[in-house]
Amino acid sequence: MRSLVSFVVLLFVAVVSAISTTGNRLLVVLEDVAEKEGYSKFLGDLEGRGFKLSIETPKSESLSLFHLGERAYDHVILFPTKGKGPNLTANLLLQFFGANGNILLTLSSGAATPSALVSLLTELDIQLPADRTGLVVDHFNYDSTSAPDTHDVLLLPAPGPLRSDIKDIFSAGAPANELIAFPHGVGAALGASELLSPILRAPSTAYSYNPKEQSEAVVDDLFATGEQLALISTFQARNSARFTLVGAAELFQDKWFDADVKKTGGKAVKTFNREFAKRVSGWTFQEIGVLRVNWIEHHLSEVGASNESNPKIYRIKNDVTYTISLSEWSWDTWNAFAVPKNDALQLEFSMLSPFHRLPLTHDAKQSNAEQAAYTSSFKLPDQHGIFNFKVNFKRPFLTNVEEKNTVSVRHMAHDEWPRSFVISGAWPWIAGIGATVTGWLAFCALWMYSGPVGGKKESKKTQ
Amino acid sequence: MSADTLEVLASAGKGQSTRTVLRFIILSLIAGAAIASRLFSVIRFESIIHEFDPWFNFRATKYLVANGFYNFWDWFDDRTWHPLGRVTGGTLYPGLMVTSGVIYHALRALTIPVDIRNICVLLAPAFSGLTAFAAYLLTNEMAPSPSAGLLAAIFMGIAPGYISRSVAGSYDNEAIAIFLLVFTFFLWIRALKQGSMLWGALCALFYGYMVASWGGYAFITCLLPLHAFVLICMGRYSTRLYVAYTTWYALGTLASMQIPFVGFLPVKTSEHMPALAGIFGFLQLLAFLDYVRSAIPSRQFQTFLWLFAGGTFGLGLAALVIATSAGFIAPWSGRFYSLWDTGYAKIHIPIIASVSEHQPTAWPAFFFDLNMLIWLFPAGVYLCFQQLADEHVFIVVYALFGSYFAGVMVRLMLTLTPVVCVAAAISASSLLDTYLNVKSPNPEEHQADDSADGSAKKAAKAGLKSTSKPVVGVYGWLSKGSVAGAMTVYLILFVLHCTWVTSNAYSSPSVVLASRMPDGSQHIIDDYREAYQWLRQNTREDAKIMSWWDYGYQIGGMADRPTLVDNNTWNNTHIATVGKAMSSREEVSYPIMRQHEVDYVLVVFGGLLGYSGDDINKFLWMVRIAEGIWPDEVKEREFFTPRGEYRVDGEATETMKNSLMYKMSYYNYNSLFPPGQAQDRVRGSRLPEVGPSLSTIEEAFTSENWIIRIYKVKDLDNFGRDHASAAAFDRGLKKKKVNKKKGPRQLRVD
Repeated sequence: MRSLVSFVVLLFVAVVSAISTTGNRLLVVLEDVAEKEGYSKFLGDLEGRGFKLSIETPKSESLSLFHLGERAYDHVILFPTKGKGPNLTANLLLQFFGANGNILLTLSSGAATPSALVSLLTELDIQLPADRTGLVVDHFNYDSTSAPDTHDVLLLPAPGPLRSDIKDIFSAGAPANELIAFPHGVGAALGASELLSPILRAPSTAYSYNPKEQSEAVVDDLFATGEQLALISTFQARNSARFTLVGAAELFQDKWFDADVKKTGGKAVKTFNREFAKRVSGWTFQEIGVLRVNWIEHHLSEVGASNESNPKIYRIKNDVTYTISLSEWSWDTWNAFAVPKNDALQLEFSMLSPFHRLPLTHDAKQSNAEQAAYTSSFKLPDQHGIFNFKVNFKRPFLTNVEEKNTVSVRHMAHDEWPRSFVISGAWPWIAGIGATVTGWLAFCALWMYSGPVGGKKESKKTQ
Repeated sequence: MSADTLEVLASAGKGQSTRTVLRFIILSLIAGAAIASRLFSVIRFESIIHEFDPWFNFRATKYLVANGFYNFWDWFDDRTWHPLGRVTGGTLYPGLMVTSGVIYHALRALTIPVDIRNICVLLAPAFSGLTAFAAYLLTNEMAPSPSAGLLAAIFMGIAPGYISRSVAGSYDNEAIAIFLLVFTFFLWIRALKQGSMLWGALCALFYGYMVASWGGYAFITCLLPLHAFVLICMGRYSTRLYVAYTTWYALGTLASMQIPFVGFLPVKTSEHMPALAGIFGFLQLLAFLDYVRSAIPSRQFQTFLWLFAGGTFGLGLAALVIATSAGFIAPWSGRFYSLWDTGYAKIHIPIIASVSEHQPTAWPAFFFDLNMLIWLFPAGVYLCFQQLADEHVFIVVYALFGSYFAGVMVRLMLTLTPVVCVAAAISASSLLDTYLNVKSPNPEEHQADDSADGSAKKAAKAGLKSTSKPVVGVYGWLSKGSVAGAMTVYLILFVLHCTWVTSNAYSSPSVVLASRMPDGSQHIIDDYREAYQWLRQNTREDAKIMSWWDYGYQIGGMADRPTLVDNNTWNNTHIATVGKAMSSREEVSYPIMRQHEVDYVLVVFGGLLGYSGDDINKFLWMVRIAEGIWPDEVKEREFFTPRGEYRVDGEATETMKNSLMYKMSYYNYNSLFPPGQAQDRVRGSRLPEVGPSLSTIEEAFTSENWIIRIYKVKDLDNFGRDHASAAAFDRGLKKKKVNKKKGPRQLRVD
């Protein structure tokens, strides 16, 4: 019965998560419902990917992130609005985020960021420019057709991977001649939190200023410059819920999806915005970069030992094999997860601190197109205790994988030691025992065989 | 015809077989009394395992019964000492559990279905009946009069010093160990008296059983060689001693080495050296010398003896020193040192000193536990001196050492009690035998005796009127009546005292507390079981509970949850880790708790009820033990006010107020009182108006009388914040923006 229920649930989940792995109810918050025309292509793309859109304004009475204590939506897009209203406070948004809801937050230099969002971002260790207003400009990488004077439409190449050991999921396969237009955007400064990772950073010549206060004077008190300005940044919480801050809402607008842009002195090129927006929203809404642990298995790998899977207890110095199977969701299929080239998937065998940290190698025999098995065989340490098989694989833009399987490692039982006659060092002692035993028996035999001596001597002795 | 019947009746008590029957009946009644007086705890409370250690023994017994002997022998317990685990099968004395297991299976074989818990609860009373019998046997070896034995049996049966460790439910090693102790001593005396290999072997057998049951076996291991040594020094070396001792030692040591927990200790540690190198070796030498003396002339023998003795002593000493310094023989352990210097443990091993039963005994305890026996005891020892056969030397030696150790440690009162009972019985019986004897000795016979002795003595005796006319003196009805009456009153008082002590002081299970309602009725405070039951029902089966080690066994036994530390204090560092977590700030404790995968923290708080055995009162020991390992991070001085007071009120030090233990104890305590009125009833102090706040842990459960408080350790913050600021955000406080003007900007490097 129980398995049937879980099967039905699983089936249901499978149907629901045909697109995103966490659900398809998407809330779009706009200042005015009419504004959605400007984002029609982006929203249409989302709908085409299977999301069910609900479009609300912050003032709407019916807007509520939770229904009866459960999330009412799986994902939220927040387009710039003047205020966020009582239903979208920082606390509620954080609660939604904490309950595995994904948030795509967009800003715009045109509107001051609502203070609720600022405090939400502060909690996530993201700083916005003072007075909640900022504009990123770059006098070298701007679009000369649309912003010849203001220089506030930045043209950037596709960003490439964050580090060499991270899979490039946002710009892989991007045509070299297409540029991302980042119009009228706000840059943010990221704190040191390890949960934050920027997707798109400003070029080194960009800076952020407040157009209302600092327009005339020479800007001397800059909020941030160059690569410290994150234009699009992500925050993946420990529960793997995703949050993306996009500094320019206009990036998603139709007019920038197929605009021609031109750098000064360059040719007019197409924008990469549509594909880029798809990837950014797809990542945020758990359509790409989602990892799943299919199964974990560990067993004794000794000759003649029982091949029981996942036993609760091992013995010290046992040989064991640990295998973990991982899949990666990519838009609409589960694929075998391939560890990026310069990266490694590692297994820790730890009690208080790791006793072993071993690379897990790909096991082709147990892998197929949908899942990849990684395995490692090793000898358990000579220390009894309660150990954990731990796989702690946390990478930017990938679901956190933190798997802990607890096993006990017991001591040698009294009959598991080699017998004394197997140990060569014990032979002298065994020989000693043998000699004593035979000697004693011989003595007894001799004693009993030899009769008592004559009575004469006996009487003498007693005297 | 009627005269015949009278004669038969009069001679009824005189026949040998009738006396045996009488003695048997009396001993049975004594055993019955011993068992019955131990059932107070079951009547007052219920059939429940008591205190702390018995809970472990009970759990181990259940494991043994469920999994069989071999699994028990190789038991790796992964539910204690998380995450180290404990090689339980190899670090316990299995005698107690195996005894219960055997009884359980025997009863099952007899188709008597009985719950293992009832066996465990009633094991100690049952064995106390046997102890009474063993005391009877032992005393019979000492005194010619069988009444001494019977007195010893009843003393042993109801002496509070022994009852304290053997009431129903007190399922501890001592429950069977005292019987084994007394019985081993009896067998030793028997073996020594008869020079019998058989009795020596039996002695070794029971010694082996004793080793399997209780760490206190070392007492036998030291006492028997000491007895032998004293006998040798008194010039009483005999082949009887040689046979008894060597048989016992050889077989007993082999038997003791079969217990994994003991293993090679008998040949490696200093505590066991007197028995091995000291007396066993010495006896071989003596036997050899004895042989040499009979073989060579005495003149040469003198020279030979001196050379031989000097050489042996020198060689032996050198060997001992070399072996100790080279590490073949372990030096004296700390527990042992603390027996000689009562202040040693407090300075060097706080974990030993922190146990209340390791404290030196207060003198009223002797009277409390032994009542009139304590003053009959020296008289009995004196009587032993008068006769001073080999077995009496044993009582003298035992009395001397037993008294010393009982004075050093409260719990060793237990080993003193048997000898007190025996000696007191000897003196009481000799008193009673003298004064209850109806017949007066015939003066003529005495005269004849005296004349044989010599005239000088006779002249001296003639000077005293009382001795020449014995009917007015000791043999008069008045003196007989008064002494016998006084003894009867004392014995009745003794019984009353024992009953009162047993019923009032030693029958509390300490798992359940009893108090009186205003109308005098009993009110049971059951917070411990309430909390343990909560843990059992509301937490994951592998939820790790951190608490001070006192409660480890109970959590394991009653709540069936893994613990970090327990009463088997084998790993001082692990205990100190828990002590550090308890005595540090939350920011320090949290990583420790995360690392040890702690899910819940349990504290005992008596402030509401006035229950003084709570964690705040034990807190300084946690601090001391933690300071022993981390002297730079935990400092005892910082928990005292500048004036040297240990306070919990508004004037407590900052370190105290910020310690996890303090916060957990007093968290939300204010809410019970009107503002500013919060009162701690144990320490009698008023608490500050604003109570402590917690951010890394949250309250999960508080028992009815607030004795047990359980906190859940929070997971890491989902958004990577520290817990304090996460809690502040949840309370609605906005985070202050980082002031950019202060210091250089923190740049992010990816």
